[in-house]
Amino acid sequence: MRNLSMLLFIFASIAAPLAAAAEAKIEISSPEDGAKLDAMEQNKLDYNVTLGSGADHIHVYVDGKEAALLRQMKGSFTMETLSPGKHEICIKLVNKNHTPIGVERCIKVEAQ
Amino acid sequence: MTLDYQNLAYAVAQIVHNFGAVAVVGGAVCALAWREAVVQRRLAWLVLAGWLVQAASGATFGAISYYYYAKFPDIHGIAVAALAVKVVCAALGATLAAGQLFAHASGVARRYFWLALCGLGVLALSSAAVLRWFS
Repeated sequence: MRNLSMLLFIFASIAAPLAAAAEAKIEISSPEDGAKLDAMEQNKLDYNVTLGSGADHIHVYVDGKEAALLRQMKGSFTMETLSPGKHEICIKLVNKNHTPIGVERCIKVEAQ
Repeated sequence: MTLDYQNLAYAVAQIVHNFGAVAVVGGAVCALAWREAVVQRRLAWLVLAGWLVQAASGATFGAISYYYYAKFPDIHGIAVAALAVKVVCAALGATLAAGQLFAHASGVARRYFWLALCGLGVLALSSAAVLRWFS
Protein backbone atom coordinates (compact mmCIF):
# COMPACT_ATOMS: atom_id res chain seq x y z
CA MET A 1 0.00 0.00 0.00
CA ARG A 2 2.82 2.33 0.95
CA ASN A 3 4.63 1.49 -2.29
CA LEU A 4 1.48 2.18 -4.23
CA SER A 5 1.14 5.61 -2.59
CA MET A 6 4.76 6.37 -3.43
CA LEU A 7 4.18 5.28 -7.03
CA LEU A 8 1.10 7.51 -7.30
CA PHE A 9 3.05 10.44 -5.84
CA ILE A 10 5.87 9.98 -8.37
CA PHE A 11 3.38 9.67 -11.22
CA ALA A 12 1.58 12.83 -10.09
CA SER A 13 4.90 14.71 -9.91
CA ILE A 14 5.77 13.67 -13.46
CA ALA A 15 2.27 14.27 -14.78
CA ALA A 16 1.90 17.76 -13.24
CA PRO A 17 4.14 19.59 -15.76
CA LEU A 18 2.42 17.74 -18.61
CA ALA A 19 -0.96 18.83 -17.32
CA ALA A 20 0.26 22.41 -17.03
CA ALA A 21 1.53 22.29 -20.62
CA ALA A 22 -1.86 21.02 -21.77
CA GLU A 23 -3.54 24.09 -20.31
CA ALA A 24 -2.12 26.35 -23.01
CA LYS A 25 -5.04 27.71 -25.01
CA ILE A 26 -5.72 30.40 -27.60
CA GLU A 27 -9.17 31.73 -28.40
CA ILE A 28 -9.88 34.23 -31.17
CA SER A 29 -13.37 35.57 -30.57
CA SER A 30 -13.32 38.12 -33.36
CA PRO A 31 -13.12 38.02 -36.29
CA GLU A 32 -14.60 34.58 -36.71
CA ASP A 33 -12.92 32.01 -38.91
CA GLY A 34 -14.08 32.63 -42.48
CA ALA A 35 -15.34 36.15 -41.70
CA LYS A 36 -15.56 38.78 -44.44
CA LEU A 37 -13.89 42.04 -43.39
CA ASP A 38 -13.97 45.56 -44.75
CA ALA A 39 -10.71 46.18 -46.62
CA MET A 40 -11.04 49.91 -46.00
CA GLU A 41 -11.28 49.55 -42.21
CA GLN A 42 -8.76 48.71 -39.53
CA ASN A 43 -10.07 45.50 -38.02
CA LYS A 44 -9.72 44.38 -34.45
CA LEU A 45 -8.50 40.99 -33.33
CA ASP A 46 -10.10 39.99 -30.03
CA TYR A 47 -8.27 37.21 -28.26
CA ASN A 48 -8.01 35.33 -25.00
CA VAL A 49 -4.90 33.32 -24.26
CA THR A 50 -3.84 30.95 -21.52
CA LEU A 51 -0.06 30.58 -21.66
CA GLY A 52 0.47 27.25 -19.94
CA SER A 53 3.96 25.91 -19.30
CA GLY A 54 6.91 27.24 -21.27
CA ALA A 55 5.15 30.15 -22.95
CA ASP A 56 5.94 33.75 -22.07
CA HIS A 57 4.00 35.94 -24.51
CA ILE A 58 2.31 35.83 -27.91
CA HIS A 59 3.16 36.80 -31.47
CA VAL A 60 0.45 37.81 -33.95
CA TYR A 61 1.01 37.02 -37.63
CA VAL A 62 -0.85 38.21 -40.70
CA ASP A 63 -0.08 36.09 -43.76
CA GLY A 64 3.00 34.68 -42.03
CA LYS A 65 4.48 38.08 -41.20
CA GLU A 66 4.79 39.10 -37.57
CA ALA A 67 2.33 41.92 -36.92
CA ALA A 68 2.67 42.29 -33.17
CA LEU A 69 4.22 41.04 -29.98
CA LEU A 70 1.66 41.07 -27.17
CA ARG A 71 2.08 40.47 -23.48
CA GLN A 72 -1.54 40.99 -22.48
CA MET A 73 -3.25 37.65 -22.30
CA LYS A 74 -6.68 38.97 -23.06
CA GLY A 75 -7.45 41.94 -25.21
CA SER A 76 -7.89 43.50 -28.57
CA PHE A 77 -5.29 44.21 -31.22
CA THR A 78 -5.97 46.65 -34.05
CA MET A 79 -4.58 45.28 -37.30
CA GLU A 80 -3.38 47.29 -40.27
CA THR A 81 -5.88 47.51 -43.10
CA LEU A 82 -5.91 44.31 -45.13
CA SER A 83 -5.61 44.32 -48.90
CA PRO A 84 -8.64 42.82 -50.70
CA GLY A 85 -8.43 39.04 -50.81
CA LYS A 86 -7.92 36.11 -48.50
CA HIS A 87 -5.67 36.38 -45.46
CA GLU A 88 -4.52 34.17 -42.63
CA ILE A 89 -4.25 35.55 -39.10
CA CYS A 90 -2.39 33.51 -36.50
CA ILE A 91 -1.56 33.81 -32.84
CA LYS A 92 1.38 31.76 -31.60
CA LEU A 93 2.59 31.18 -28.07
CA VAL A 94 6.34 31.85 -27.78
CA ASN A 95 8.86 31.38 -25.00
CA LYS A 96 11.12 34.05 -23.45
CA ASN A 97 13.53 33.71 -26.37
CA HIS A 98 10.71 34.36 -28.90
CA THR A 99 10.64 30.74 -30.05
CA PRO A 100 7.20 29.38 -31.01
CA ILE A 101 6.46 26.51 -28.63
CA GLY A 102 4.06 24.78 -30.99
CA VAL A 103 0.73 26.12 -29.72
CA GLU A 104 -1.04 28.32 -32.24
CA ARG A 105 -4.47 29.29 -33.48
CA CYS A 106 -5.07 30.50 -37.02
CA ILE A 107 -8.15 31.86 -38.76
CA LYS A 108 -8.80 32.68 -42.38
CA VAL A 109 -10.59 35.88 -43.32
CA GLU A 110 -11.45 37.62 -46.55
CA ALA A 111 -11.11 41.38 -46.95
CA GLN A 112 -13.52 42.97 -49.42
CA MET B 1 9.19 23.35 -7.34
CA THR B 2 10.73 21.75 -10.42
CA LEU B 3 13.87 23.06 -12.06
CA ASP B 4 13.20 24.39 -15.55
CA TYR B 5 16.19 23.09 -17.51
CA GLN B 6 15.27 25.14 -20.56
CA ASN B 7 15.43 28.43 -18.66
CA LEU B 8 18.57 27.23 -16.89
CA ALA B 9 20.20 26.60 -20.28
CA TYR B 10 19.22 30.09 -21.50
CA ALA B 11 20.51 31.60 -18.25
CA VAL B 12 23.89 29.85 -18.52
CA ALA B 13 24.22 31.01 -22.15
CA GLN B 14 23.33 34.55 -21.01
CA ILE B 15 25.95 34.48 -18.24
CA VAL B 16 28.65 33.39 -20.68
CA HIS B 17 27.46 35.98 -23.22
CA ASN B 18 27.58 38.76 -20.61
CA PHE B 19 31.13 37.90 -19.57
CA GLY B 20 32.12 37.83 -23.24
CA ALA B 21 30.75 41.36 -23.53
CA VAL B 22 32.80 42.48 -20.53
CA ALA B 23 35.93 40.96 -22.10
CA VAL B 24 35.55 42.60 -25.52
CA VAL B 25 34.84 46.10 -24.24
CA GLY B 26 36.87 46.00 -21.03
CA GLY B 27 39.88 44.42 -22.73
CA ALA B 28 39.95 47.02 -25.50
CA VAL B 29 39.52 49.94 -23.08
CA CYS B 30 42.29 48.62 -20.82
CA ALA B 31 44.59 48.20 -23.84
CA LEU B 32 44.14 51.89 -24.66
CA ALA B 33 45.28 52.76 -21.14
CA TRP B 34 48.12 50.25 -20.67
CA ARG B 35 50.68 50.48 -23.47
CA GLU B 36 53.18 47.80 -22.35
CA ALA B 37 53.65 45.17 -25.08
CA VAL B 38 53.25 42.20 -22.73
CA VAL B 39 50.02 43.56 -21.25
CA GLN B 40 48.66 44.42 -24.68
CA ARG B 41 49.35 40.91 -25.93
CA ARG B 42 47.48 39.39 -23.00
CA LEU B 43 44.62 41.78 -23.55
CA ALA B 44 44.54 40.86 -27.26
CA TRP B 45 44.13 37.19 -26.26
CA LEU B 46 41.39 38.19 -23.81
CA VAL B 47 39.54 40.22 -26.45
CA LEU B 48 39.91 37.47 -29.07
CA ALA B 49 38.55 34.92 -26.60
CA GLY B 50 35.77 37.35 -25.70
CA TRP B 51 34.61 37.71 -29.31
CA LEU B 52 34.73 33.95 -29.87
CA VAL B 53 32.74 33.41 -26.68
CA GLN B 54 30.24 36.05 -27.82
CA ALA B 55 29.75 34.26 -31.15
CA ALA B 56 29.48 30.80 -29.59
CA SER B 57 27.13 31.81 -26.76
CA GLY B 58 25.00 33.87 -29.15
CA ALA B 59 24.59 30.84 -31.40
CA THR B 60 23.80 28.77 -28.31
CA PHE B 61 20.61 30.79 -27.72
CA GLY B 62 19.36 29.64 -31.11
CA ALA B 63 20.61 26.10 -30.51
CA ILE B 64 18.70 25.82 -27.21
CA SER B 65 15.50 26.93 -28.95
CA TYR B 66 16.09 24.40 -31.71
CA TYR B 67 16.81 21.62 -29.21
CA TYR B 68 13.54 22.18 -27.35
CA TYR B 69 11.16 23.18 -30.17
CA ALA B 70 12.95 22.37 -33.47
CA LYS B 71 12.56 26.06 -34.30
CA PHE B 72 14.74 29.13 -34.10
CA PRO B 73 13.62 32.33 -32.35
CA ASP B 74 11.10 34.24 -34.41
CA ILE B 75 12.41 37.79 -34.76
CA HIS B 76 11.70 40.37 -37.44
CA GLY B 77 12.59 43.84 -38.70
CA ILE B 78 14.79 45.95 -36.45
CA ALA B 79 15.64 42.95 -34.28
CA VAL B 80 17.04 41.06 -37.29
CA ALA B 81 19.09 44.13 -38.27
CA ALA B 82 20.45 44.41 -34.70
CA LEU B 83 21.37 40.71 -34.71
CA ALA B 84 23.13 41.13 -38.06
CA VAL B 85 25.14 44.04 -36.64
CA LYS B 86 26.17 41.87 -33.68
CA VAL B 87 27.28 39.04 -35.97
CA VAL B 88 29.34 41.42 -38.14
CA CYS B 89 30.88 43.00 -35.01
CA ALA B 90 31.87 39.55 -33.72
CA ALA B 91 33.46 38.59 -37.05
CA LEU B 92 35.36 41.88 -37.37
CA GLY B 93 36.27 41.92 -33.68
CA ALA B 94 37.75 38.43 -33.76
CA THR B 95 39.66 39.29 -36.96
CA LEU B 96 41.08 42.51 -35.53
CA ALA B 97 42.00 40.86 -32.22
CA ALA B 98 43.79 38.10 -34.13
CA GLY B 99 45.49 40.84 -36.16
CA GLN B 100 46.75 42.41 -32.93
CA LEU B 101 48.29 39.08 -32.00
CA PHE B 102 49.75 37.89 -35.28
CA ALA B 103 50.27 40.96 -37.51
CA HIS B 104 53.35 43.02 -36.78
CA ALA B 105 51.69 46.43 -36.79
CA SER B 106 53.38 49.67 -35.76
CA GLY B 107 52.55 51.37 -32.47
CA VAL B 108 50.22 53.87 -34.12
CA ALA B 109 48.44 51.18 -36.13
CA ARG B 110 48.01 49.08 -33.01
CA ARG B 111 46.36 52.01 -31.26
CA TYR B 112 43.91 52.38 -34.17
CA PHE B 113 43.25 48.63 -33.97
CA TRP B 114 42.38 49.00 -30.28
CA LEU B 115 40.16 52.01 -30.96
CA ALA B 116 38.34 50.01 -33.66
CA LEU B 117 37.96 47.05 -31.27
CA CYS B 118 36.60 49.39 -28.62
CA GLY B 119 34.10 50.83 -31.11
CA LEU B 120 33.01 47.35 -32.24
CA GLY B 121 32.44 46.33 -28.63
CA VAL B 122 30.33 49.38 -27.90
CA LEU B 123 28.36 48.88 -31.14
CA ALA B 124 27.73 45.19 -30.36
CA LEU B 125 26.53 45.98 -26.84
CA SER B 126 24.26 48.73 -28.13
CA SER B 127 22.84 46.37 -30.75
CA ALA B 128 22.20 43.82 -28.01
CA ALA B 129 19.96 46.32 -26.25
CA VAL B 130 18.08 47.01 -29.50
CA LEU B 131 17.74 43.27 -30.15
CA ARG B 132 16.44 42.74 -26.62
CA TRP B 133 13.74 45.40 -26.78
CA PHE B 134 12.72 45.24 -30.45
CA SER B 135 12.12 41.49 -30.56
